[in-house]
Amino acid sequence: MNIFLILEESGGHIKKSSWEALGAALKLAPAESVTAVVLGAQTEALAAETAAKGVGKVVRVEHPLLAPYTPDGFIISLEQLIRAEAPAYVVFPHTYQVRDYAPALACRMGQVLIGDVTGVDDGPLFTRQLMQGRLNGSYRHSGNGTCFVSVQAGAFRAVDSGASAPPAEITKFTPTLDATQIRTHPGEPFRDSAQTVDLGSAQRIVSVGRGIKDAEHMGLMQDLATALGAELAASRPICDNGWLPMERQVGSSGQTVSPKLYLAVGISGAIQHLVGMKGSQCIVAINKDPDAPIFEVADYGIVGDLFEAVPALTEAVKAAKQ
Amino acid sequence: MKIIVAIKQVPDRDAPVRIAAGSKWIEERELQFAMNEPDAYALEEALELKEKHGGEVIVISAGPERVGTTIREALAKGADRAIHIVCEDLEARDALGVARLLAAAIKQENPDLVLTGLQSEDLGLGQTGVILAELLAMPHSTLILHVEKIDSGIKVKRELEEGWFQSIEMPLPAVLTMQSGGNKLRYATLMGIKRAKTKETRLVAAGDLGAGAASAVVLERIALPRKEKSTQILPGSPKDAAAALVEKLKTEARVL
Amino acid sequence: MTVLFPIPAEPRHFSILEELLFAALAAVSAYGFWRRFGPILNRILQSKKDADFHFFPIGGRVRDFVWEVVFQAKVIRERPLVGVAHALVFWAFCAFALVTLNHCATVFGIGFLDPAGRVGRWYFYFAGIFAVACAAGIAGLFVRRFLVQPKWLGELSWQSGLIALLIFVLMVTYLAAFFVADGSGAVRALWWAHMLTLLVFLPLIPHTKHLHLMLSPFTVFLSRGAFSRIPPLIGDEDFGLVAGKDLTRLVSLQAYSCVECGRCMEHCPANNTGKQLNPKEIVLGLRGYLNEYGPTSEEPLLGKYNAQEAVFQCTTCGACEFQCPVGIEHLPVLIGLRRGAVNTGAWEDDHGAKLFLALERGSNALGISPDERDKFIEKNSLPIFDGTQEYCLWLGCMGSYDPKGREIVLALVRVMRFLGVSFGVLRKERCSGDPVRRLGNDLVFQQLAEANLEALTQNKVKKIVSICPHCVRTIQEDWKAFGTPPEVEHHSEFLARFGDQLPSVKNQETPDQKKIAFHDPCYLGRYRNVYDEPRKVAALAGELVEAPRSRERSFCCGAGGGLSFLGEETGERVSHVRAAELAGTGAGIVGTACPFCNTMFRDALAERGEGAPELLDIAQLAARGLQKDGKG
Repeated sequence: MNIFLILEESGGHIKKSSWEALGAALKLAPAESVTAVVLGAQTEALAAETAAKGVGKVVRVEHPLLAPYTPDGFIISLEQLIRAEAPAYVVFPHTYQVRDYAPALACRMGQVLIGDVTGVDDGPLFTRQLMQGRLNGSYRHSGNGTCFVSVQAGAFRAVDSGASAPPAEITKFTPTLDATQIRTHPGEPFRDSAQTVDLGSAQRIVSVGRGIKDAEHMGLMQDLATALGAELAASRPICDNGWLPMERQVGSSGQTVSPKLYLAVGISGAIQHLVGMKGSQCIVAINKDPDAPIFEVADYGIVGDLFEAVPALTEAVKAAKQ
Repeated sequence: MKIIVAIKQVPDRDAPVRIAAGSKWIEERELQFAMNEPDAYALEEALELKEKHGGEVIVISAGPERVGTTIREALAKGADRAIHIVCEDLEARDALGVARLLAAAIKQENPDLVLTGLQSEDLGLGQTGVILAELLAMPHSTLILHVEKIDSGIKVKRELEEGWFQSIEMPLPAVLTMQSGGNKLRYATLMGIKRAKTKETRLVAAGDLGAGAASAVVLERIALPRKEKSTQILPGSPKDAAAALVEKLKTEARVL
Repeated sequence: MTVLFPIPAEPRHFSILEELLFAALAAVSAYGFWRRFGPILNRILQSKKDADFHFFPIGGRVRDFVWEVVFQAKVIRERPLVGVAHALVFWAFCAFALVTLNHCATVFGIGFLDPAGRVGRWYFYFAGIFAVACAAGIAGLFVRRFLVQPKWLGELSWQSGLIALLIFVLMVTYLAAFFVADGSGAVRALWWAHMLTLLVFLPLIPHTKHLHLMLSPFTVFLSRGAFSRIPPLIGDEDFGLVAGKDLTRLVSLQAYSCVECGRCMEHCPANNTGKQLNPKEIVLGLRGYLNEYGPTSEEPLLGKYNAQEAVFQCTTCGACEFQCPVGIEHLPVLIGLRRGAVNTGAWEDDHGAKLFLALERGSNALGISPDERDKFIEKNSLPIFDGTQEYCLWLGCMGSYDPKGREIVLALVRVMRFLGVSFGVLRKERCSGDPVRRLGNDLVFQQLAEANLEALTQNKVKKIVSICPHCVRTIQEDWKAFGTPPEVEHHSEFLARFGDQLPSVKNQETPDQKKIAFHDPCYLGRYRNVYDEPRKVAALAGELVEAPRSRERSFCCGAGGGLSFLGEETGERVSHVRAAELAGTGAGIVGTACPFCNTMFRDALAERGEGAPELLDIAQLAARGLQKDGKG
């Protein structure tokens, strides 16, 4: 049985989510049966990096029109490769890029992508989340042909290295691509203007409340935010006092945020604040009052003095990064 | 510009999740339904484009009779007319099956632009729009926040990971899947609802579209996830609690 | 006798020339009056008919008319000194009715009141007393307007000065007649002076705010019949007050009745905290609009004469409508203007849209998952209403999701359990719709009202008790348009009924020494006329002290009218101004009876630092008397 693993690169290296997808692929077949695929205009270094991971084969799908990424380029190239090799499975990491082309690719082959998978069970049955995470569904591939699967980031352990295994055989595949077939024309990636504070798109937020007592302690909070790579925000009273600008206010009269991580430090959890951050994926609360309402909505909490907990947390975060 | 917006009616976000007998889907009896929120953003973008450049906004939706309420809501917000593909067994179709239904109806309309929401709040597949593009042989892009009309077609703003964005140009006709939050949703107004009464909703039977329903992927069963959300208070000294917290954030919550 | 009851001298004979001259001048004066008054009357009558106006029952109308117009009760009560001065002028005008008629009749030789006759002499004397009072009154008011210059009266207006002067001259020329010799030339001169003053005065009436002389008795008599009575929308093209053609007769009549006294402005919380909204300007804006565009115009009402921004700064506290001495009903106008903007989508506000979208799809105004309410109910073992209990305890959005609101609910539950009253909470609640009703979104409000009425019927709810005056008002009054709501009362009314059974802290060994300043919620006080019941309950926990502005004059906390769901307010924060006033009483506890007031004062009082008073709802005050185990 042959399994294709489509890898994705960023800044000249394979992204971690691809190695997690490898972890998922290994549930379907042993490493020797996995053919890792890298696509691009220059894939030599990527292929070398991949070959050391213990996969069976590496295929370099190389063509000048494959950089920058376009759905047309990737779909046409992969279709040619898949029709040639007829793998049983094609496994992807579930990234923004994969969501952009994989469903169309599967459709071209008369198949449907089983996307954002969080588990692989016997069958195989693929588990994915429904109803915004409130339900799990088990999917199976019926019918013949290749089964297309994409894997949720963080759902599987990334494969570290295949140092013990011999480096994989690298082959090159040149797809037949014409410029007229590329219908979309992407520009260079950019960031939105750095001046404005956009809490709405921040992935991590450290939020300060009245518990901080004084503006001079803001440095503590800034250190934690920097260590976490987070934006600094605050509840209403802090902004009213001018300790942080109004645009950093989270709450009913400020911004509504839904980051992956929201750390509420010294915030009691009044309704005006809660409505601004209740959509956060993971909420951590640090407060010395065990009855503070914020703990009702938090996933994790530390009941204690924030002047001790915050520096300790900053250190722990820095240590974990190493 | 003739813009078609594909919208889906999904169970209310606050809906109680109870598994129906047979474990294939949830109990629908006591459910309230609403428009899929990303589709609302797609509709909003379409309406803004119409307000700027003129043209027509048509909403299309597949599903049973109850979908009519959501279609009326879209008409109330400003869509000009609607197509309701009456289909009683939408759950039995996989993403390709659903896209085939929509494509068959959309082809007849010859639109300039087709918009869908990025993904639905119930199944969350995020594929319908992309498959539609393939079936309609149109260029596409996903995670779009903003659409601008240019001479050669459209220029769109696409969201990338980690706070990056990208502009993409493509010719029309095209298909786009819209990310939430790119624009500000308008609220339904009394005036809108009254005007909606006079707008056309064309009913099309799914069977008449000749779109095959054969499924390549089957949802075998559903189950409640094992973990319930509860607050974990990390004990011990601030140092210990902090260390434990970082560990949890890394391995359990996976946000670090 | 003659000395005690002097007789005013009157010219006995008028020449034909004088009669013709008077007739001509009178005609000119009447023409001048009608030229201005006619079109105004026309505009009022051409306005749309009021859909829900019911002339009967007439008892209340007569009662209000007698109390407010004849006795000038509201005029005097709300501004005593000034009110008395005005009352004297008004009563003098009434008393002078026959005098004036007689004066006109005498020139044509058909005078019917003989100053020397028995009736005549008493009557003229009686009028004379009023003339003195009126002259004094008008002089006092003149001094107030032109020397004291209170800001409520707006810019100095020469018309007011002229009118005051004319009234003064009228009284003086009348009184002087008592002191001139009968038959002398001065008598005739005084008569002409008096009548000319009158003929100048008459056409001025419709040109100035003195139009209220003609209109306000009708305005008071023809009120909508209840406080903040919002009319229903009729038909498919009615979206509220969008353009001139939506103005109804009552609104037009009220717009022209405004006497510009500024009492509404004086008590408006928005106006008092530096915001653009000025209720007086709203009414005068409508008048300006009607004068320029008329009652059939398509021109938007929110444009030249009234600003959308101002209209959305209103907390619907009702102080304006309550204060108005000429019967103007500001609330239906403000809400009508909001309806016109919201129902047509003309109002673009991020927070407003967020609120509407949250209620379009979800169950509560805060946009929180109802799982949180389920968790609260479960954690505190609140009984679920199943049709067998006596009361349905309505939590409302604040009671279900707000930490402070929940504390109030739990305190009430403790007391209800102590009293042994059977109650239950609904498994699922949807927002009563108060914020969207006050913001003018009739689409969402109808959806909520209908869904709630159906749910209550299905659950067999007969009696509701609620901690929130907004819910109480909305359920009892606003839902009526869509069905028959069950009985509903506020928890202060409920607790007051059991007042004797509830233990007072004064019975305990160490009674609380803190005084309690009770803040009257707008929706409980002015809207529902409930002032004593919450005080009775609060008194269980200590001695009460009144805030400077309390009861009918209570100063809003700032949350009403949907404003607690909207963004930053401009100017000073209403909640902070009121909190300062309450704290300034020296009370150790601020007592509230509304979860919105409670939440608004929470931060405001906390910012006052260490010495700030405690903030407690009356339910919490009542629960204080209970021991830890819930027993008395």
